[in-house]
Amino acid sequence: MGMSVSGGGVKAEPNVTPMIDVMLVLLIIFMITIPQINAGFKAVPPEGQNLKPHPEEEGDQVLGIDDQGRYYLNKKPIRNEDAATLVGQIYLTERPDYIMYVKAHKDLAYLKVIDALDMLSRNGVRVAALITEQTPNTESLVESDRLLAPKSGGK
Amino acid sequence: MSMSAPTGGSNLNNDMNVTPMIDVLLVLLIIFMMIIPMSRKALDAQLPDPTPQPASQVNTDQIVLEVLPDDKYAVNKEPVEKKEVLARLKAIFDPRPEKIIFVKGDTTVAYGNVIWAMDQARGAGVKVIGIPPK
Repeated sequence: MGMSVSGGGVKAEPNVTPMIDVMLVLLIIFMITIPQINAGFKAVPPEGQNLKPHPEEEGDQVLGIDDQGRYYLNKKPIRNEDAATLVGQIYLTERPDYIMYVKAHKDLAYLKVIDALDMLSRNGVRVAALITEQTPNTESLVESDRLLAPKSGGK
Repeated sequence: MSMSAPTGGSNLNNDMNVTPMIDVLLVLLIIFMMIIPMSRKALDAQLPDPTPQPASQVNTDQIVLEVLPDDKYAVNKEPVEKKEVLARLKAIFDPRPEKIIFVKGDTTVAYGNVIWAMDQARGAGVKVIGIPPK
């Protein structure tokens, strides 16, 4: 607070106020958009303990099945009767993997899920990754899952 | 360089030091951006082969975990209490080299129950979960 003697009066710091403004706005935008990303697709995935981490990557295909059994392909609603054709267009071609993510509502009758899985298997999908949420405060008993736990740059 | 004595107190620095705050905000932002895509988890299920070979070699020693209505379970047709499923699967899979299980859910059970069964299977050391053909 006292008067500086050796040139302390020259202010060399950049003006950071606009930067904070931008940061805060970005933070708020993020916080608002995250829940909205899944809007329009109502499915609460089941919870489990021994799950395998599957970090999101480019080219992942997600089939959503909401609580009414309606299908969504990569969050866009599709007609259930079109699903087979659309999935076939993606998987009946040369691809690096034949894995499809399936995010289904937990209280759905298994019949609806098995119908979807059956449809996928007939249209080129080999592995269905059933998206499940980690039960809070649990950790997978499988050692390799823990090694794969979120880490930047991992595959 | 020496400043002359200020006349109107303009040299008093009243600005807050915001640098630590920016640091924290930046870190928060980065953490948010990293965690969102990284936190997805799933159970991998092998789907049945759409063009099954004629049953040339009938595999008799495969393990099938059935999820039956009313929260009942069965391992190779033998009923197992829900709370004993994990112990039972462990007993089966600990000495077994092939860590493969088929999880067959009744069509009326909730999807969550089937996931629970797959979850227990992985907990018992199963590496590959198969879905039997419809």
